[in-house]
Amino acid sequence: MAETLTIPRGRIDFPGIGFAIVLSAVIIFPLIVVGTWAFTEVWRYPNVVPQQFGLRFWNQTLSRADVWSALTLSLQLSTVVTLLSAAICLPAAYAFARMTFPGRNVLFFSFLAGHAFPKFGLLVAIAAIFLQLNLIGTFWGVVLIQLVGTLLFMIWIPVAAFQSVDRRMEEAARDVGASPLRVFWSITLPQAGPTIAAAVLLSFVGTFYETEGAWLIGAPGIRTMPVLMITFINNQMVIQYGAVLSVLLWVPSFIALLFARRIIGGGAFARGFGG
Amino acid sequence: MSAAGGAVQAQPEPLDESETRRRPYGLLLVAAPVLLVGWLVIWPIVSAVIRTLWQPADDGGYEFTLETYVFFFSDRYSLDNLTVTLWTTGMCALFLLVICLPISLYLRFSVGRLPAYVQSLAIFPMFVPSIILAYAFIRVLGPNGMVDILLNAVGLPKIRTPYLTPWGPVIGLVWDNIPLTVLILLSGLGNVSNQAIEAARDVGARWLQVLWYIILPRIGNSILVALSFSVLGIFSSFTLPYVLGPAAPEMMGPFMQRTFRDVNDPQMAITQAVITFGFCIVFGLFYVRSVARNRGK
Repeated sequence: MAETLTIPRGRIDFPGIGFAIVLSAVIIFPLIVVGTWAFTEVWRYPNVVPQQFGLRFWNQTLSRADVWSALTLSLQLSTVVTLLSAAICLPAAYAFARMTFPGRNVLFFSFLAGHAFPKFGLLVAIAAIFLQLNLIGTFWGVVLIQLVGTLLFMIWIPVAAFQSVDRRMEEAARDVGASPLRVFWSITLPQAGPTIAAAVLLSFVGTFYETEGAWLIGAPGIRTMPVLMITFINNQMVIQYGAVLSVLLWVPSFIALLFARRIIGGGAFARGFGG
Repeated sequence: MSAAGGAVQAQPEPLDESETRRRPYGLLLVAAPVLLVGWLVIWPIVSAVIRTLWQPADDGGYEFTLETYVFFFSDRYSLDNLTVTLWTTGMCALFLLVICLPISLYLRFSVGRLPAYVQSLAIFPMFVPSIILAYAFIRVLGPNGMVDILLNAVGLPKIRTPYLTPWGPVIGLVWDNIPLTVLILLSGLGNVSNQAIEAARDVGARWLQVLWYIILPRIGNSILVALSFSVLGIFSSFTLPYVLGPAAPEMMGPFMQRTFRDVNDPQMAITQAVITFGFCIVFGLFYVRSVARNRGK
């Protein structure tokens, strides 16, 4: 069926070529420019190609104390938030997938509430609460606000993972005398594991790049990597600093996200957003 | 929706009798994240509404007042910010539709390596944090950026840079929102059956007619979901308007941030937040209803 609707072989796919060229120019080209700036030492307008390539600015960027403290802080924050999120969300996901209890559906959909409001407005409302609790400008204030941002993904994706585990295998294991814990460890977890790992990875990377909560709640005491990059961009000190940080941070996160997306699948992504 | 290959299902499979737990252990396990949502999502919103409507009165008690709202809607600067936010959101929604609908239609009805490449390009911005996007934007479209360099090389005049104008956030936000819009539209296009289109083609309908009478009515809901989602994200976006947009008028995101931190007026900031909730409530409800209905299937 599909063949009759698609473009027959041999005919040139002009719309496809058009989309490919335009999208490459709009989406890939800017990132190549950033990549080029990271390895540039001298690039004066109006030269099309930099006059001098080199790694001088990598040394300079990496010897800045504020870069290292922001990087350490961001890694600490992401680790704490991800661990806390896993600790409270994974048992909850298991319960949503396997148990019945009063209010189950309402509670399951309550995690959507955070996504039904414009995000920054919600952050300001939370900040007003934190102001009374003296959590503004503190590490734990930022942890809390970023933790809320991970809940939906860390519950909905693992719920799907637990539900897709083959129940017959679990029952078979129970029949031959395995304890519930043993079944969970040897049957359930290996099957649900990769998807859960992808969700954990997603929340780690997402937290690392979370800018708005860190900016609103954390400033001025808590300067995470994205917050530092905003100041680099606004102050326009040395162009290369931003480029080096972009390349340095983006490549690992890109690989991680690609891995996560392969496991979770584009369809689930779209569904998660209501597609 | 059927096209989405995800295995996510909200409803449990019918439980075996042996698995049914009479005692609500489940409630204990879900308590922590649910309480967190209650404390840091539901309560702040309720509290924001209450705090802006009932304010301390002279006699020490609290009285109902619309004072901060009256100020917002009579203040020229606040209204300008609201207008530029509405304009940006509208422009982004329009551009997203004009850009993403053709891409999704193309992807739905093509197979092969080229469409696969186009699809991965369209999804790509999802993997680029907005702060890196903002930096790339300035290097490419900013003053003496890459576009200026290339134009100059072929002897053309420089562009009028959109950096620090209202168009800056529009371009950045559209770029950022392409992936999810395409994914949601594609998922909706999965519901359009090939037979319906072939039948229409057999009786002589042209492509435009097929699009108008067969395809669009079937993906109307997906278009609305995609637009609601983008509107919710764009209306109160912060990073891109803050970095790429003009200092005045500014979008609601940077405006709220400045009111809260720099002007140090939380009362006014949460008034602005409640106003953004008000403008987005329809989109939010529609979005939640669609997601819940999808999951509930």
